Amino acid sequence: MKIKQITNEKLGETVFCAKHPSGLEIRVLPKEGYTSAYAVFGVKYGSIDTAVQNDNGEFETIPEGTAHFLEHKLFESEDLNAFERFAKTGASANAYTSFEKTAYLFKGSENIGESLEILLDFVQNPYFTQQTVEKEQGIIGQEIRMYQDLPDWQVMFNLLKALYSSHPVRIDIAGTQESIAKIDADLLYRLYKNFYNPANMVLSVVGEIEPDEVFAIVDRCIKKDAESKIVERKFEKESAKPVREYIEEKLSVAQKQFLLGFKEDISEPLFSLEDEIASQVMLEAIMGKSSPLFKKLLDEELIDMGFGSELFNGFGFSCVMMGGTSSDPQKTAQILHSEIKRIQQEGVDPAAFERAKRKYYGRYVMSYNDIDDTANLMMNLHFNGYEPFAELEACKKLTIEKVNSRLSALRDDACALSVICPIS
Amino acid sequence: MPQVRMLAEQVRLVSEQTDRFKTGRISVSMALPMDERMAANSLLIYLLKRSCKKYPDFSLLNGKLDELYGAALSAGVTKIGESQVLSLSLTCLDDRFALTDESIVEQCAELLANMIFKPNCKSGSFGAENLAAEKRLLIQRIEEELNDKRTYAFNKCIEYMCANEAYGKDKYGTIEEIQSVKMADVYSAWKNLLSTAVFQITVVGGSGMDKIADVFAKHFAKIERNPVKPETVFIQRGRHFNRYEETYPVNQGKLVIGFRAGMQSSRDNIHAITVMNDIFGMGTYSKLFMNVREKLSLAYYCWSRLIASKGLVLVEGGIDTDKEKKVSAEILAQLSDLRNGKTDPEVLDSSKRSLKERYTFTTPEGICSWYAAQVLEDEIATPESMVEGIETVTMEQVCAAAKKLSIDSIFMLMAKTEEAAEDEN
Repeated sequence: MKIKQITNEKLGETVFCAKHPSGLEIRVLPKEGYTSAYAVFGVKYGSIDTAVQNDNGEFETIPEGTAHFLEHKLFESEDLNAFERFAKTGASANAYTSFEKTAYLFKGSENIGESLEILLDFVQNPYFTQQTVEKEQGIIGQEIRMYQDLPDWQVMFNLLKALYSSHPVRIDIAGTQESIAKIDADLLYRLYKNFYNPANMVLSVVGEIEPDEVFAIVDRCIKKDAESKIVERKFEKESAKPVREYIEEKLSVAQKQFLLGFKEDISEPLFSLEDEIASQVMLEAIMGKSSPLFKKLLDEELIDMGFGSELFNGFGFSCVMMGGTSSDPQKTAQILHSEIKRIQQEGVDPAAFERAKRKYYGRYVMSYNDIDDTANLMMNLHFNGYEPFAELEACKKLTIEKVNSRLSALRDDACALSVICPIS
Repeated sequence: MPQVRMLAEQVRLVSEQTDRFKTGRISVSMALPMDERMAANSLLIYLLKRSCKKYPDFSLLNGKLDELYGAALSAGVTKIGESQVLSLSLTCLDDRFALTDESIVEQCAELLANMIFKPNCKSGSFGAENLAAEKRLLIQRIEEELNDKRTYAFNKCIEYMCANEAYGKDKYGTIEEIQSVKMADVYSAWKNLLSTAVFQITVVGGSGMDKIADVFAKHFAKIERNPVKPETVFIQRGRHFNRYEETYPVNQGKLVIGFRAGMQSSRDNIHAITVMNDIFGMGTYSKLFMNVREKLSLAYYCWSRLIASKGLVLVEGGIDTDKEKKVSAEILAQLSDLRNGKTDPEVLDSSKRSLKERYTFTTPEGICSWYAAQVLEDEIATPESMVEGIETVTMEQVCAAAKKLSIDSIFMLMAKTEEAAEDEN
């Protein structure tokens, strides 16, 4: 294995990068003075993967929620389950599924090498039976019901449904009660085989550990006979327009909540890290806590301190979301629209740009504090095709011209408003 | 080991110097009794967070925070035992990473001290508009507790369980109390805070500990201190078993069972109780996870939480409403097994290993909140001393601690979907 070291002098951090012959990408960032390590083993398989390529290269539809279902099931094995094995090393293990990936992780301060072996082992050894699949349908069914009652979650998925007509980002990560009922052990094995191959995965380890130890463990534990295939995603261009401009749901909440979303018209499935950071800084400058817009909305009693905005993007989707709790979502949306229009004509205030950029620079440095954040960041950068520290360097180089160029993402005629109303 | 020094009467500075991190964290905890001032105190902390004399406007203060490389400011109100604890905290970039030659940490300490000692207040007024705005936001915050049904049910169980104790009150005070707070009340709450609250300033960072101490000591030197230490009543056994319920149009029901842990003080038998609670319902090897979730598929989450500062253990689960009896019976059956020593000895080892990990903090926030939670303790305990204590716990002690748990109150948030409600109409 060829090992490449990438150092960021200002941060005082070095990442050891390698590609195992199996195709697995490895990132190790040793941290001096830390007593713990955090490892995350990720696969590029998330809730947006609702189709798989068959042997003829055609895409075949699969039920919604399979990535998440597999995440739950991989912890099981024929004898000791993964939790029982980690209990012997003391490490705390967990996993999560997002739109674009599934990640298995542990954090521990003792027997780190042993824990890493368990992590690599259980993710590489699936074991499902019809009985254990049925048991999980009950547990995940409760998980889905729990999320259906969370207004923050619902307001976001309703917005995505209003913005996207066919992109699977519009469906809940766990799927639905109906879709998970279609999952059986055979399907899980088939999907496992398709997605869980080393060339589609990354291992990121941060903390108290020697890079050589990680590389040796990977060499020992990664299966030699594993298929090494990069899984392609299908890009289908979405309509430039949203499906509908307004969506509302009644839930048991105290106040109205809203999210206003601007859909971006993209012709390539992914866009650059520079654009991503420029969008975040743009939003911070326009509507962050120190902006006149935030103050105005607060003074008019239209928002509370929880109001926020973000760029939400991934393979084949990109939109900007802004919102929170509001007594009058429509009026708030109107004010947001008119202020955005004004800034699109006049450009972002240079002082606000400087403040926002400084804030983002600080926050990026801060994200190297926590071994959890750092390991996940390394994984995400790899999945998106970037080298370690790319975000920090891109942020330092950011110009106001670049930020102003991102104002065009906020298209007045491509937006939707999602509102959660209290049940009267 | 952190350094502990007193800056004034009942004003303690706890600092842990480490250059492991890229950030520094300063947190000021202010403990007050849970009395008629609670609503005014809650408003006060958010007014202090809104602006100060030097940055007399919300946007100016936040602009300053952005300039300090996105220093993150937070204010909070919590209950620690029967004390209302107000806090103001800042996380900031360590000086090593500044793009120009400046001390971020010192500026942040100065800013935090300014917010507490030199607020945006003229002749006894924090500004009528500011107060009105914070009243609206605080009332909204309380009303919104309903949005998260898990937390709502959890708090509701405590409210019923401790209805005759100060601990049963909402940490912010009631909406009616907040509405009736006048400017003079907030001003007197501020004066009262500076003079009587028990203060702890907790700092985790790479440099400038002495400077931070000086900044706060200088301000306290001008204050006449008459500290009042809040006391907590510990009720060792459940007295009045009752079940309470409320129905909401939601998909999932929430069950909360409240127990008294038999503690006489916040550190009474703490090691055995911590391990017992962990084996009962915290870890993935715990009885509740292994049985209620994994074996019976009755819940996605079902766990127990220990509130040592009041001697309570609460078990909560998100379940189907019609399975309440089945779930409660299983929870109690698991408790009975725990009491009777029907626990695999390996689980005790797993629990000790896992707890050791949980007390190995890897962020400044983690370390800071461990110490900040001790604002009312006479002696500061380190995470290491907690782990040492846990390592000595035997299975017999775990069983004995489980036997001391006595059920007090059950709160059930019943789910009724809108369609079902309409069918009945």
